[in-house]
Amino acid sequence: MSTPSASTATIHQVEVPQPKQHGKPGGIMRHLNFFTGLIGGVVLALVFGFLMNIQFPSGALTANFANAAAGPTFWAMMVGWVIGFMGGMGAFTGPIRWLFGRDLTHADAEFMAGKDQGKFRYWRFTTDHKVVGIQYLIVAMIILGFGGLLAMLIRTELGFTWMEVFNPDFYNSLVGTHGIAMVIAMIVVVSGPVGNFIVPLMCGARDMAFPRLNALSIWLLVCAVPPLILSLLVGGIRDGWSVYQPLNSQAGPGMIGYQTTIIVFAVSTALASVNIMTTILTMRAKGMTWARTPILIYGSFAAAAMGLYAFPFYMYSQILSMTDRLINTSFFNPIEGGSVWLYENLFWLLGHPEVYVILIPSMAVMMELIPVFMRKPLFSYYMAIAGIVGVVGLSGLVWAHHMYMTGWAPQANYPFMLSTEMISIPVGFLVLVVIGTMWRGTFWSRLPMMAVFAVIFNKMIGGVTGVYLSDVPADQYFHGNMFVTAHFHYMLMGAGLFGAMGAVAYYFPKMTGRYLDERTGSIGFWTAFAGFQITFMSMFVAGLQGQPRRVLQFDNMFNISNWISTIGAYIIGIGMLIFLSAIISSWRSGQVAPSNPWHAQTLDWQTATPVPLENFPVLPVVTKLPYDYGVPDPLAPQTLEKQYDEKVGAPT
Amino acid sequence: MTAPLMSPTTGEPVAVVARRNRLGLVFLVVADFSGTMALIISYVYLWSLNVNNGWAPNQQTFGNNDLLKSRSPLPWAADWPFWAILGLTVVATIVLWLGIRTLRSGHRGGLVGAAAVSTIVVVAALVLQWWQITTFPFGPGNGSYASAVFLLTASVFAHLLLAAFLLLAITNRTRAGLVSSDNPFQAKLVGYWMVWVCASIVLGCLCTTFLKASPNTTPANFGEFSLYNPNAPAPSASPSPSQ
Repeated sequence: MSTPSASTATIHQVEVPQPKQHGKPGGIMRHLNFFTGLIGGVVLALVFGFLMNIQFPSGALTANFANAAAGPTFWAMMVGWVIGFMGGMGAFTGPIRWLFGRDLTHADAEFMAGKDQGKFRYWRFTTDHKVVGIQYLIVAMIILGFGGLLAMLIRTELGFTWMEVFNPDFYNSLVGTHGIAMVIAMIVVVSGPVGNFIVPLMCGARDMAFPRLNALSIWLLVCAVPPLILSLLVGGIRDGWSVYQPLNSQAGPGMIGYQTTIIVFAVSTALASVNIMTTILTMRAKGMTWARTPILIYGSFAAAAMGLYAFPFYMYSQILSMTDRLINTSFFNPIEGGSVWLYENLFWLLGHPEVYVILIPSMAVMMELIPVFMRKPLFSYYMAIAGIVGVVGLSGLVWAHHMYMTGWAPQANYPFMLSTEMISIPVGFLVLVVIGTMWRGTFWSRLPMMAVFAVIFNKMIGGVTGVYLSDVPADQYFHGNMFVTAHFHYMLMGAGLFGAMGAVAYYFPKMTGRYLDERTGSIGFWTAFAGFQITFMSMFVAGLQGQPRRVLQFDNMFNISNWISTIGAYIIGIGMLIFLSAIISSWRSGQVAPSNPWHAQTLDWQTATPVPLENFPVLPVVTKLPYDYGVPDPLAPQTLEKQYDEKVGAPT
Repeated sequence: MTAPLMSPTTGEPVAVVARRNRLGLVFLVVADFSGTMALIISYVYLWSLNVNNGWAPNQQTFGNNDLLKSRSPLPWAADWPFWAILGLTVVATIVLWLGIRTLRSGHRGGLVGAAAVSTIVVVAALVLQWWQITTFPFGPGNGSYASAVFLLTASVFAHLLLAAFLLLAITNRTRAGLVSSDNPFQAKLVGYWMVWVCASIVLGCLCTTFLKASPNTTPANFGEFSLYNPNAPAPSASPSPSQ
């Protein structure tokens, strides 16, 4: 530990020379936190908005369309918010210190990691991956709650068929905001907490590769949320989560909130992806060769890789839309040589890989759970890897199946139909691995294992209905109706969210030191599951009957299916609230769990709970795959101290 | 055998930290490459389509009902500033790498000078880029070529701004002894970044120089927003009986 007067610090029993310590460890970061960020963001947003109003009092910086005249002021406020919030959080402190050559000492780094700061470290720019993982979980749950609330309002409108609860504009805003909020939440709900909390532990690392980048990515995510919520107050997002052109350019200034959210979120995701991939490639424990790496690490790497190449396209689709609106560029305006199909291509170049960014980590968690709860080796480990690699490889070649009916390159429809149907092969590999592992097994009936069954059920339905949608002739009928809505809810919510609930139940003891209340959690889980089936099975029926999407007034023939869907949605809401209450009560006063309550073999369960600041007192050495449950000593962890140095080499 | 230099923050050998940072930079460049490709794809896509004959820079005139009356052509952007900016960036990159080479022989001062010169050259490129953006013979709304060129040059500006920051930091840090022959990896990382900036500018230069006039001389009319439809009949003053 270094002090201002010491010139060396002892780090892992080694004396390491230290740079000069300026003041107390942490420096200015001691005074910066979420609240200073909030103040900075609000103040700078107001200042920027005020200045923009002075500069362009009559809306001189006009857009293509008259109703966007208020855009520049709102845009300036969003820019002010982002800079002010991140500055107030301390995000710029690191680069400025680096510029002036004031490197962090070990004591600074320990302060930044939240050492001895109690719960307040969750409100700071804390670099410890475990803190960041829990921050991701909480932020994802808040966004899910917000999106879920909007879903309740949507279903209220659609279920109360005898009256109009909201006006059409506000209803459309609810649909668009719900869509994008849920997509963001689903992207981070598994890959955020698991990728940040669990993956470094599972790798046998002391932290992520770039701890400050880690803190930056979570606080950028936090920063991205208010613009989305604020957009509801200035016209909202009335064009669905995909906000196709030219509706995007024609919308009110609320669209700028959406665009700000997407740009900031894309940067956050790219940084998180860089961090996760580098951690996995360079910080796996000695002996953890690719043939001994847990499947969850493969899944996290795959999701990060897809996010890395795909999110910039989405980000640029919104940057170009923003410049079309604010400085009159004409990327999407046909009279000036633009094309709306350009937007759709850029958008779906992310839009489809994003589905797998959500699904692959969820499936990978399931593949971690099954061997543990069935005490069986993972069936065909290499098939699982092949499945993940196949999905990554094909995910970038299927985007245009979302555009069959737009008129863009009709001759390309059939190649894209083929590639889309081909991707069911690697996805099928993953399902086969899951089913093969469970085959003729007996299982330990706990909540995480229940989630596996729920995910398989939902994924089968979502997958099979997806085959219809990948088929051009069938898609002509289904693409614009509730069948599509039901399908993607089965994939994203049915497989993604129920998988996330299973992951929370499984990792809860490691994250909090306590068991998730099994009884209350199960009641919540199964209530939500039942509500989910009621809601979306009925929506399939409405879709087969021809009810169009994103329309709040419809023919009476759709009434019954909509009433049933709305009842199901309320049941989901009740189930989620029960599950949330289980999380909160268990976190506060649940049964204390030992460090490895499931007798799992992966490294994340071999360290103490609560996990110490640097995870492992001595870095582990891996000697085998973590799924050898059928061997004579089924409870043996992935690392065996007595076999250190004799059997293993460095990772290849 | 001398003990390896250790990172004061994590206590790991600096070589380990360097390897990790290098890989992280590669991934960041992959993400940035995707973003740059989004711009390049946009440029090439609109160039190949020439929607409504609106690719080439032009000044539009609208009539009383916001209907397009005429287009008068505007000049293309001059080629030389694109290549001049590339040239300056390449020079800055070479100078920096020469400085890194002198560092190997223990001359820290060589890198300080090289990084300082690189910073100045990149700032000159930034000024030239700013001048180019503000003196284009068209505005960002004068056709899709104009839009794509504005965004490409804005992207170059952002890359150069970051490069200037990094080079200034390397100058400072080398002067302070934080970058040395034992610990050169940060200068090398900035060197790699400069190479990528050069590559990204090359992509833009190739587009703006060789893909000017659209090959699609008989573009399909993809329709226009009703606000601008030149073929629509002018709205009558009073509604017709059928309305």
